[in-house]
Amino acid sequence: MTPYNKPLPQIDPRQARFWQGLRERQIWLPTCANCAKVRFVATRFCGHCWSDESHWQRVPGGATLQAYATFHKAYWAGFAADVPYRVIQVRLDAGVSLFSNLVGPWPPALAQGARLKPFFDDVTPEVTLLKFCVDEANP
Amino acid sequence: MAARAPLPQAAVVGVGTTRYGVLSDYDAYDLGQWALKNALDDAGLSPGDIDGLILSRVPDYQRFAELGRLDPHYTLTTPGHGRFAGICIQTAVAVLQAGLARTVAVVYGNNGRSAGDRYGGDTDSYGSGGAGMWFPYGMTSPGAFHALMFQRHQARYGTRVEQLAEIPMAFRYHASLNPAAVMREPFGLEQYLATRHICEPLRLLDYCLINDGGVALILTLAERAVDLPQPPVYIDAMAQRAQFTDSTFPPEDFWHGAMASAAQATFAQTDLRREDMDALMVYDNFSPTVLFSLEGFGYCQPGEGGAFIQGGRLRLDGDLPTNTSGGHLSESYMQGWALNVEAVRQIRGQCDQRQVPGAQHVHYMAAAPVITSLIYSGQRRTQ
Repeated sequence: MTPYNKPLPQIDPRQARFWQGLRERQIWLPTCANCAKVRFVATRFCGHCWSDESHWQRVPGGATLQAYATFHKAYWAGFAADVPYRVIQVRLDAGVSLFSNLVGPWPPALAQGARLKPFFDDVTPEVTLLKFCVDEANP
Repeated sequence: MAARAPLPQAAVVGVGTTRYGVLSDYDAYDLGQWALKNALDDAGLSPGDIDGLILSRVPDYQRFAELGRLDPHYTLTTPGHGRFAGICIQTAVAVLQAGLARTVAVVYGNNGRSAGDRYGGDTDSYGSGGAGMWFPYGMTSPGAFHALMFQRHQARYGTRVEQLAEIPMAFRYHASLNPAAVMREPFGLEQYLATRHICEPLRLLDYCLINDGGVALILTLAERAVDLPQPPVYIDAMAQRAQFTDSTFPPEDFWHGAMASAAQATFAQTDLRREDMDALMVYDNFSPTVLFSLEGFGYCQPGEGGAFIQGGRLRLDGDLPTNTSGGHLSESYMQGWALNVEAVRQIRGQCDQRQVPGAQHVHYMAAAPVITSLIYSGQRRTQ
């Protein structure tokens, strides 16, 4: 098997709980202890109320498709075999946005607002990426 | 309370540009100095007259000033992001109005093409510093950011790529009339549609042209400007708005809210109205940005940009000649700077074949997480 050669995340110790969560098939996000807003990524201060107290909280994985674009150019050798590939912009129900990929076939009429569910992609033994697939049960 | 005296008006009295293209013998300092030399010649001034220096993309202000033996009363350096063209010019006006300097040079030097600068891949730092977080998903480049925005504009408003095509086609037509432009061969819709996608829905022809070059402008207060050889081009109104919140992601409203606010602040300062504009200079890093800007600044309604620009409206003989130099898509990606120079040259009547007859008022606008708006006028404001 060829080694995984796409870019890997640089795992900042401050974000370690997020990455650990993905390996456990869960989504954990920092949550403000004062105003309860979740944020991504982990930062010292809450952007809303500027409190510096926060804790990690497990959040549901439901998400909504916001936009997508199709890359015809590979900016890394590891993506050369994938072009054209799509990048999606999603909004987690927990209230934060992410860029990601859709796993599985692209439905012909997939539109903004489509419901997605998480797909935990173990790309290496250490790294699991948060991707999404269409939530057939809740279209 | 006593009425505050109106701020003195500033004017552009000199503009300078280098050649654009592959200029591998020049670094960013050389390109900035070359442009400034041309701007000083244009203004009938010498380096010793400069007492304010504002730089963009030139790596080190001290080195730049030392190379030209400049010892200004005010110095500022800014990153080489396109949004800083408008910011720097606005800051020059404020520095003049505050009396911190009498003659301000704003200088941009960009050797990005020869230096091999890339806007996608490992060196991508677009956005709020978080670009690297998305590389594992293959997400990178400002082009992709704008492709996502345009895809959403299509889905929300029904905008079609065949409509978008008019932007690069119109600007290429203008470039065909501009000897300084890098790409001058006009193309039609069929050729546009046959061009490869980079990040779909955007094609190669929707992307700006990375090149080497330099641009400089010299500003003074109006009282002084009238003694200089060029007809002064006055800053009639200006405004700036930022939308940094959640700016890692494309703005849900296409920056329309921030642009509407900037437009309102701009037009509140002047008797001029949109219909008085003889030309527009619209920051065109990617062609959809022009649509978003026309909508946000109120030249048409949100969502109507695609239909609005049809029928040659943005072309030289249309209602709203836009980016008469060819802009970033066809003249060269001078990150807003050369568009400001083009505004000045139009008002001076120096644009030869691409001249808008009798141009007196030009609106420069840039849509990005920092929105800037500047109205240039050949007429001094009456106070």
